[in-house]
Amino acid sequence: MIGYILRRFGAAVLVLFAISVLVFLIFFATPGVDPAARIAGKNADPATLAQVRASFGFDRPLPVQYVLMMKHLFVSHDLTSFVNRGTLVIPQIIDAVPVTLSLVVGAAVIWMVLGVGMGTLAGAMRGTLVDPLVMLLGVFGVSLPVYWLGEVVNLITQKQLHGSVFSWVPPLGYAPLSQGVGQWALHLLFPWLTLALLYAGIYARLLRGELINALNEDYVRTARAKGLSERRILIRHALRCSLIPIVSLFGLDFGALVGGAALLTEVVFGLPGVGKLTYQALQNLDLPVIMGTVLYAAFFVVLANAVVDVLYARLDPRVRRA
Amino acid sequence: MKRITAIAGAALLAAGVAACSGGGDGAATSGAGTTGQTTQAAAGFQEQHKGGTLRLLAKAGDGTLDPHINYSNGQWQIFQALYDGLVSFRKVGGKAAYDIVPDLAKELPQVGADGKTYTFTLRTGVKFSNGDPVTVDDVVASFRRIFRISGPTSGTFYSGIVGAAECVKKPAGCTLDKGVVADAAANTVTINLVAPDSEFLQKLALPHAVVLPKGTPAKDQGTTPIPGTGPYKVESYNPNQLMKLVRNPNFTEWSRDAQPQGYPDEIDYNYGLTSEAAVTAVENGQADWIFDPLPADRLTEIGTSYEQQAHVNPLAAFWYIPVNVNLAPFDKPEARQALQWAFDKNALVKMFGGANLAQPACTILPPSFPGHADFCDFSQQDLAKAKQLVQQSGTAGQEVSIVVADDDVSKQIGEYARSVLEQIGYQAKVKVISTNIQFTYIQNSKNKVQLSVSQWYADYPAASNFLNVLLSCASYHPGSDSSINISGFCDKDADAKIAQAMKLDQTDPAASGKLWGEIDRELMQKGPIIPLFNPKQIDFVSKNVGNYQFHAQFHALLDQMWVK
Repeated sequence: MIGYILRRFGAAVLVLFAISVLVFLIFFATPGVDPAARIAGKNADPATLAQVRASFGFDRPLPVQYVLMMKHLFVSHDLTSFVNRGTLVIPQIIDAVPVTLSLVVGAAVIWMVLGVGMGTLAGAMRGTLVDPLVMLLGVFGVSLPVYWLGEVVNLITQKQLHGSVFSWVPPLGYAPLSQGVGQWALHLLFPWLTLALLYAGIYARLLRGELINALNEDYVRTARAKGLSERRILIRHALRCSLIPIVSLFGLDFGALVGGAALLTEVVFGLPGVGKLTYQALQNLDLPVIMGTVLYAAFFVVLANAVVDVLYARLDPRVRRA
Repeated sequence: MKRITAIAGAALLAAGVAACSGGGDGAATSGAGTTGQTTQAAAGFQEQHKGGTLRLLAKAGDGTLDPHINYSNGQWQIFQALYDGLVSFRKVGGKAAYDIVPDLAKELPQVGADGKTYTFTLRTGVKFSNGDPVTVDDVVASFRRIFRISGPTSGTFYSGIVGAAECVKKPAGCTLDKGVVADAAANTVTINLVAPDSEFLQKLALPHAVVLPKGTPAKDQGTTPIPGTGPYKVESYNPNQLMKLVRNPNFTEWSRDAQPQGYPDEIDYNYGLTSEAAVTAVENGQADWIFDPLPADRLTEIGTSYEQQAHVNPLAAFWYIPVNVNLAPFDKPEARQALQWAFDKNALVKMFGGANLAQPACTILPPSFPGHADFCDFSQQDLAKAKQLVQQSGTAGQEVSIVVADDDVSKQIGEYARSVLEQIGYQAKVKVISTNIQFTYIQNSKNKVQLSVSQWYADYPAASNFLNVLLSCASYHPGSDSSINISGFCDKDADAKIAQAMKLDQTDPAASGKLWGEIDRELMQKGPIIPLFNPKQIDFVSKNVGNYQFHAQFHALLDQMWVK
């Protein structure tokens, strides 16, 4: 088992290395991105350009530049942005993490409650009108893209009905916990709901399918034969087994979102989280920040995958030998 | 200076930017809906409006806080309330904004008979926000610092100072000991130039030449605020979230023209909202002003429901097509002339948002800009003539591509240009590339760009800032991403005339203005640049903002807006 874990994490480190090399090469292979020209400013004198190139080390071979960048990122922790110069990359990410965590944890609670609730309801009420109605709601959630839904929510809460029904909605942006839990939650309420809707829909549909399969299993028939109540069968037996794939899916989704996949929600609602930082860095072609955020995101995705794999291996010995 | 547009949002904008008429003189243009409304400040400070917090919005921070390095429109505007140079542009709305007034210097300098020495007497009693007095040593150190940090304009704007050439090559040991000389006893600083420079005072009035404390480290200070002399100081800056300005406790107004005290007690510059969300926030009174250009689809609404809160001002800038004169087919003069006839500029203005937002351009120098001559040799689109010229040049049927940025306006212009080029006899296609790299990409001659769409915003009000910068041999650097002469145009005659006009600027501004106009006209005939239109700036402010003034050089005077 230990050997498997080590192999798995060794592979994860290799993936991170490959991603960082790829990001680095794509950046320098793009024409028109000479960072020295961008830093030196418009119409810079060639001598000034040469000075900037030398002082930032852009005149050195690419592998050396790569190693230096990694050294600044991981050893001396002083990698700075090319665009907002003097801004350290790591503190920017550390600043952004609480925002993303606040968004994702809150949304996760909502979508898990909603998704499990809707899925269970639809599975249990199969054959009645409730099932297709709940599922329709689920499809509705899945098919609304976050960036569109977010803009519509903003249009309604910040503009059309801001003077009346939604006058209590605070301006867009993030309020840290230091301003009080109330303000924090109020600022995040609509982002939470917007982000949660999509996942709630997916999880509800998935859970319904699993639940219906489980309800046809032999052990459920056995439980029925033993005279257990339908509710007990549903909650204690069928739902419990059906939740296993949901939980592993949740692990992956959560990892990706914390890594910055909530980008669209963050951009639409003006939340300065990791996704927003990535978006901004891509807009500016700010290599150090892109590198920092991409590695951070990849780390969470790879970590989540590795944890899930290890858990699976723990549960299923066959995986270990594969 | 080139500024990336609205849609670009990138933080590496450039700045400068000027406009011909400001809010103050009521020159705000009105068009279909969006009307410039101006509150003329009564002379003198109005105590009753002092106080409160002014809340500004931008999509993102605009880079380093170091005024010697930052070359972006957004930060230059904010620096007006933070720093001072020896001289400054007059901080008022209207045309008077182009006047140079003494700032940290007691009066305008005495210029030697040869035009090469400038002697400034320093004002006494001015303090930095850290409490230290401003001395001649600070001035000398600041000039050295421009070179020691390899400032973006050190090799261009300030290269005329004696010793500058060596400093640009070897920044570390730069002393400028013969170029900038202090006399502590007389409280004077003398700047020696290699050759007379009629634009020197304007260059000194830009943020790259502000005076900073002598102890300021010779490296980019990034997000660490450097003490300044203006009415405000930066309390905190996080380019992803907020810049907070508070009053500088050591500031007392010494010249209302150069550095007037501000109205709000605090200025919060919030970063992160999209421009759509920012417009809504200003409508709701949650914020007071937006830096980024307004989204086109909100203009009607602003023009109809919030007319009183919108201010429109023309900018000293143009959108243009740089024509690569070194690549076929536009190495042929007839082919370039064909291009001058090919475009319907009114159609282009429509693509930019209509007459509210731009006016068609006939010349390289924008209207009301020094040296602008009112001619229009290619007034109307004439496709037949263009087609004939293409035939004459013998280039018909050749492949031509136009490289545009991926914002909506540029893409539309690209598509339009493609259809026009097809009509006049070329096989044309559009190449759309990311706004973030388009500007550097089209500059590099290695990328073999025939045509592109770009913009230029004036750094300071001088004709040379367009003609000399964009079209002289000196600003063409083959194979470099930093070669602002995108056309690769290098004409010895034109260069000689430009040099002559710059020389004439020092002695006879009226004659030089005329000469610039002629040069503009000749360059239009040679066709390295196709001017498209001159954009305008729309500022949208909240209901509580008063005393909006548009400064021709640095745009809205933020600290002069009152919120009480």
